[in-house]
Amino acid sequence: MPRMGYSFPEEVLEHVFSFIQSDEDRNAISEVCRSWHDIERWSRRRVFVGNCYAISPTMVIRRFPEVRSVKLKGKPHFADFNLVPEGWGGYVAPWISAMASAYPWLEEIRLKRMVITDESLELISKSFKNFKVLVLSSCEGFSTDGLAAIAANCRNLRELDLGESEVEDLSGHWLSRFPDNYTSMVSLNIACLGWEVSFSALERLVGRCPNLRTLRLNRAVPLDKLANLLCRAPQLVELGTGAYSSELRPDVFSNLSGAFSGCKELKSLSGFWDVVPGYLPAVYPICSKLKSLNLSYATIQSPELIKLVSQCQNLQRLWVLDYIEDAGLDALAASCKDLRELRVFPSDPFGQEPNVPLTEQGLVSVSEGCPKLQSVLYFCRQMSNAALMTIARNRPNMTRFRLCIIEPHTPDYLTLQPLDVGFGAIVEHCKDLRRLSLSGLLTDRVFEYIGTHAKKLEMLSVAFAGESDLGLHHILSGCDNLRKLEIRDCPFGDKALLANAAKLETMRSLWMSSCSVSFGACKLLGQKMPGLNVEVIDERGPPDLRPESCPIDKLYVYRTVSGPRFDMPGFVWTMAENPALRLS
Amino acid sequence: MELQLGLALPSNPSKGFDLNYFASEPKEIAVSNRSFTVASSCTDINDINDNNKKRSFDQTFENPTDSTVPRTLPLLLWNHHPNEEDDPKDLENHSLVTFNDKKDGDNGDGLVGWPPIRSRWKNKRLCHENNGAVGLENGFACGIRGSNSTYVKVKMEGVPIARKIDLSLHHSFQTLTETLMDMFGQWWLETGQKDSNQYKLAYQDREGDWLFTEDVSWRTFSRSVQRIKLLKSSR
Repeated sequence: MPRMGYSFPEEVLEHVFSFIQSDEDRNAISEVCRSWHDIERWSRRRVFVGNCYAISPTMVIRRFPEVRSVKLKGKPHFADFNLVPEGWGGYVAPWISAMASAYPWLEEIRLKRMVITDESLELISKSFKNFKVLVLSSCEGFSTDGLAAIAANCRNLRELDLGESEVEDLSGHWLSRFPDNYTSMVSLNIACLGWEVSFSALERLVGRCPNLRTLRLNRAVPLDKLANLLCRAPQLVELGTGAYSSELRPDVFSNLSGAFSGCKELKSLSGFWDVVPGYLPAVYPICSKLKSLNLSYATIQSPELIKLVSQCQNLQRLWVLDYIEDAGLDALAASCKDLRELRVFPSDPFGQEPNVPLTEQGLVSVSEGCPKLQSVLYFCRQMSNAALMTIARNRPNMTRFRLCIIEPHTPDYLTLQPLDVGFGAIVEHCKDLRRLSLSGLLTDRVFEYIGTHAKKLEMLSVAFAGESDLGLHHILSGCDNLRKLEIRDCPFGDKALLANAAKLETMRSLWMSSCSVSFGACKLLGQKMPGLNVEVIDERGPPDLRPESCPIDKLYVYRTVSGPRFDMPGFVWTMAENPALRLS
Repeated sequence: MELQLGLALPSNPSKGFDLNYFASEPKEIAVSNRSFTVASSCTDINDINDNNKKRSFDQTFENPTDSTVPRTLPLLLWNHHPNEEDDPKDLENHSLVTFNDKKDGDNGDGLVGWPPIRSRWKNKRLCHENNGAVGLENGFACGIRGSNSTYVKVKMEGVPIARKIDLSLHHSFQTLTETLMDMFGQWWLETGQKDSNQYKLAYQDREGDWLFTEDVSWRTFSRSVQRIKLLKSSR
């Protein structure tokens, strides 16, 4: 039998491989034989590193020398809720410097929860001649000066998306740094900026970029200027308004309404800060085409929300405040049969009493009425096992289910029992569930259900739940596909962690804060598992000044091939084989 | 779809790999007894941490040599260590820090990061509810940069990583400089310089102008500083 490897010249194999985009497939290809490995690595153009500390930039560059697109993630997810102290890490500078020399043809950089400085932005703007896409999602550390460098130097920029980053606003004039002959913007998202940007520069930019499809404005762009912008960009597909308020004036209204009507391609709307309800009808003309609606800043009441949502028959994604009430969710269930994703945020998260009539019933309605619903994030104040079981039976196609009952330890309000069986029903029926967040009163039983049934689960968030180490043990020993586990305020200690140490090497990361993991256990884990970085985060001071049995504040464990990192602040210690490395 | 790290991953990793074998203390009984008590102490730790978080971070940097008196919080349910005294200064300072601690201070029961909503989002929305108009002061959320915050960003020339410092903890340039030296200490170790004379302190005032601190009084400085930079003296 002829050996196939000989007959194909490299160029042919490379051409074939160019049709394979998924990382999983490419990883499989690279394991076939030495020559396939080599051809594949020279032809890989996209790299995704889910934890920037799992591998060093040098190693990535050495293996994949011709990369055009890089995506990196830094801080753990709980950083979104201020559980990761400032200064913990996630610095992208070493990556940018390494790539500046190694990847002159880099086109795309996407970062999430990382710290990026103005110097890095400037380096990016000057090092990559064909730079096209910059996405900074929940990043920080930079100012509008850095953005000015990007604007001034990136002639081929197509996408600038600042996500929900924290940007130091020094001046709105950075936008004017785009040269007059720059016309290639396709997607611009500046919604997170607190200060005004130069409006005339914005107008001119929008006017001269014929391929602009996405424009997300910041709150500082006033409503009476929106119509003008829309008229210059009627081809927009995605729009984020600025503040949606102004004195009610018929001329402003008719201009706005006319401008919206002119945007025949508009499919996604967001923004809507400070909504004056009288202006909402201006968007009615385009509602029937909308696929995505983000009203999470819109403090409008249920009747207006119902009027709006009832016209969006093609809606696939809705993000909204709980002002929508159960009644509004009923209307949603009746009108939006194509709904795939629902997120309901709390309007008064810290109030003790419910401020709006939004209960588990709203979610049940939507689960009944929307057959394609697969992704849910729901904040509420009461829940029952019966409701959860109904939702589970209605929607076995659910893939992401995040429920936040606002008060910790809240039981089933009808039976006063824990919500174990309710969540158990979710994992049992929804066989493709990939992401789950738990809340309410929960014993170790719920974890037994999860370990038994949630075989496709990749990410689990647990808070104020469980009774003993058995709970954690069920998760770690049962969830075969678990990649990310984040836990806070649960009575999980050392036993389950140490018993399942090897499992941690199969996951991206584990976060445990305000649990009962002892310093001794962390040291042991770090010593015995060289493939993991075991980080103890404790702002109270060095953990070795307290007894070993003392629980540590926060633990972050992640697999890595590049050993302990060296950019840790004074309140982070890595437990390692070499005791000298422990002290920072 | 992640980068393969080339690890030889066992298919059934948790079986037969139990590090409890190496753990010295008998944990069986300890855990079940501890589970209830530590759950409560966890909440207490949260309460204290919530108010004291940023303070203890700065403390760590302000007194790096003071390792003989651990700045630990009184762990109320741990009776093993009567030597750890309640530091009355810590308790006093809780109230100072909650004022600064915009992100976490809103919830009644003092739980950090709960409910799990992003603080930036929360601040933006609350700003509207409190003031009913865009642009009124409420820190960064409404477009007024840091008017209520005493935290200031500090950058050292040549160091890519900026830090933040709480100015309300300082009353003179001397303590400020010392703190900054410690903050950037790691970088000095790497560059081999630890001479504070090599650096000059500059700051940006409310008007956006950059000035040297040696030219102004502490009072003038602390009232108008927006950002701080450490510049090499050769300039």
